[in-house]
Amino acid sequence: MIAITGEKKYMAKKKKAAPLKARIGHSSNGRGEHAPHSSITSSSQRTYTIVDYRLEKPIFNIRQVRKGDEVRYEVSGEVNAPVPPIRESKYLDKKQSLEIYRFMLLNRKTEIALENLYKQGKVVGGVYFGLGQEACSCASAYALQKDDWFGPMIRNQGSLLVRGFRARDIMMQYMAKSGSPTKGRDGTSHFGDIEKRNMVSPISMLGDLIPVLAGVALGARLQGRSIAVMTYIGDGGQSTGVTYEGLNFAAVQDLGLVLFVENNLWAYSTPADMQFRVKDLAERSIAYGIPGVIVDGTDACQVYDAAHEACERARRGEGPTLIEAKMMRMKGHAIHDAADYVPKSMFEYWRKRDPITRFENYLVNVKKWLTPKENENLIADVERELEGEREFALESPMPQPESAVGGVYCDSSCHEVKPKYEAPKTRPKVSGGPKETTAAIHFK
Amino acid sequence: MPQLTYLEAIRQGIWEEMERDPTVFCIGEDIGIYGGAFKVTDGFIDRFGPERVIDTPIAESAIVGAAYGASLTGMRPVAEFQFMDFIGCAFNQIVNMLAKSHYRWNAPAPLVIRGPSGGNVHGVLSTRQNPEAWFVHTPGLKVVCPASAYDAKGLIKAAIRDNNPVIFFEHKYLYRRIKEDVPAEDYIVPLGKARVAREGRDISIITYAAMVHVALEAAEILAKEGIELEVIDLRTLSPLDRDAIAQAVRKTNKVIVLHEDVRTGGIAGEIAAIINEDAFDDLDGPIVRITAQDSPVPFSPPLEEYFLPKVSDVVREARRLKAY
Repeated sequence: MIAITGEKKYMAKKKKAAPLKARIGHSSNGRGEHAPHSSITSSSQRTYTIVDYRLEKPIFNIRQVRKGDEVRYEVSGEVNAPVPPIRESKYLDKKQSLEIYRFMLLNRKTEIALENLYKQGKVVGGVYFGLGQEACSCASAYALQKDDWFGPMIRNQGSLLVRGFRARDIMMQYMAKSGSPTKGRDGTSHFGDIEKRNMVSPISMLGDLIPVLAGVALGARLQGRSIAVMTYIGDGGQSTGVTYEGLNFAAVQDLGLVLFVENNLWAYSTPADMQFRVKDLAERSIAYGIPGVIVDGTDACQVYDAAHEACERARRGEGPTLIEAKMMRMKGHAIHDAADYVPKSMFEYWRKRDPITRFENYLVNVKKWLTPKENENLIADVERELEGEREFALESPMPQPESAVGGVYCDSSCHEVKPKYEAPKTRPKVSGGPKETTAAIHFK
Repeated sequence: MPQLTYLEAIRQGIWEEMERDPTVFCIGEDIGIYGGAFKVTDGFIDRFGPERVIDTPIAESAIVGAAYGASLTGMRPVAEFQFMDFIGCAFNQIVNMLAKSHYRWNAPAPLVIRGPSGGNVHGVLSTRQNPEAWFVHTPGLKVVCPASAYDAKGLIKAAIRDNNPVIFFEHKYLYRRIKEDVPAEDYIVPLGKARVAREGRDISIITYAAMVHVALEAAEILAKEGIELEVIDLRTLSPLDRDAIAQAVRKTNKVIVLHEDVRTGGIAGEIAAIINEDAFDDLDGPIVRITAQDSPVPFSPPLEEYFLPKVSDVVREARRLKAY
């Protein structure tokens, strides 16, 4: 039996985390301290708690239905429910909220600019949008600190902006320009930065970022640092085996992985109902032995709060958290995909829950942290910034053909590999090598 | 000078690197208290602690992925595959994450993936393969296959110090069957350089790993008939030592390429193409390939014996080539 609670903080057990020194060197096979919040009752039942911060909990079912000569998706559920308010954040102040809002605007408008560039024939390959997902991308990354790392997925453009990349970087990647972060060697969001912004480059295969980010946390821990590492996976992507392997590894090693499962209801053309049998993906956390949280992915405050708490847990060395953010993908899989297969009523339902509209309303009308005039100025400022970025990106040349050569291998002249944080501490040296081993050989 | 087995030499090499460089750590299945399925890391956890000798769940793509992630923070992981056959379970991480990391986004991936490969040891089918060709074919990876204990220690040390992902195939047949002088001090054997295992003037045989010893055994037999084999041990398969290959052809004008891996798509084809490009005019006869047959590795000893290249194959082909 799984109990989904609304108000109860999932940090109900106020456990003092073991100091980092004591953790290093302890066998990570010892469990129990950070198991999912479960209780074994005196009967033969066991209950688990998953916290759900949403102010509405819609239940939709999408089925394939034959309609005459065609087979179509049909949705059932409360598609006319009213839009709830933004849930007040426990942590964000005015300045932070306005910053997140600005990033969300920049996120949205960068993608509009990309779409226009595509229509002008300036983009190489396709364009992928995170329309409707800006609150999740921006508010989540906003919880990261300087030494933390992240690994975005294709619809998390907002997180790149929050972490210090510019709209021009994204545009140049899409246009395959020589000024792009990969110098034209890869496209879309497939770039990274191990020096400053601490971003792991994604690849097209889904779930592979998860063990890699876990490894980043492992590397940092070996250097005496307990950091938060954040990555994302979709309702579709989380079906892969490597998702399981990576998250399970992070859990058993208590690595500070904050995993945002972005349930946007569609994996290309496949609805969530055909992707998994659990009611909510946060329930998967039970299988890993980590806390699971559900948030409304269109509510920037909920996303930030969950991200903040998970990052703090991570930095205290308490291990991973799985955060399921619910929303919908508001365009097709990529620009070529009109998403005709999505029932229209679903677009209507989620359009009313546009994250930027909701947050704007919250800042201007509820918190009154922005006057309508200030809001107008802010939007105009973002548009001005974008125009400058677009100009820069357009003017960047295409790469020289010969620049395809080189860099396949790293030789001693191109990179000095050294610990990012600190030299790992080791036990005192002893003389002599390994003692001779006489154990039996294993030939399977 | 101490005599070490091939396995002990690898063990000593990794140990020395872990002593020397605090960023080196081991990760894999059963490598901690158990000391590894083949005991390569026996005693390591006692000396270096569980934080640097990490036992993982059975999850190869997580082992490789996590090692890669740690390498992005400047660590130098040594990831063990209990059997190199399981490398298929981490194939995507290796060819799409690691191999392309430096070229694509300028991030070096200084890790080593190591484990036992090869047959003639009477285990089940999926524990005796030679998967090196898949990775020689992938730009961005380095592939190493030592044949001697001395080279095994020097190459594992060089691999650990290399800034690129290195796939290190340890031939399990050689683990305890060869024992030789291995210096107790620090030395490396450079990647990308072949060695002459035996000098000869009649026919060059280019090979690697356990087959080097098959070639040497055949050479003894052929010497009695007045045919002198020059045996080239490639040691590194990627990058290949093209100079050594060309030189081998120039010296004897007749070449056999020998490997335990299957025929089609095996690296002998690549070497033959290289000889065609670099030393065609020096050839006095066709390039001969001696390889395993194109099938999965059969289990029963008589079947496996038929499947694998043998000393008698080398002797027969050398006689034929000499007469050409």
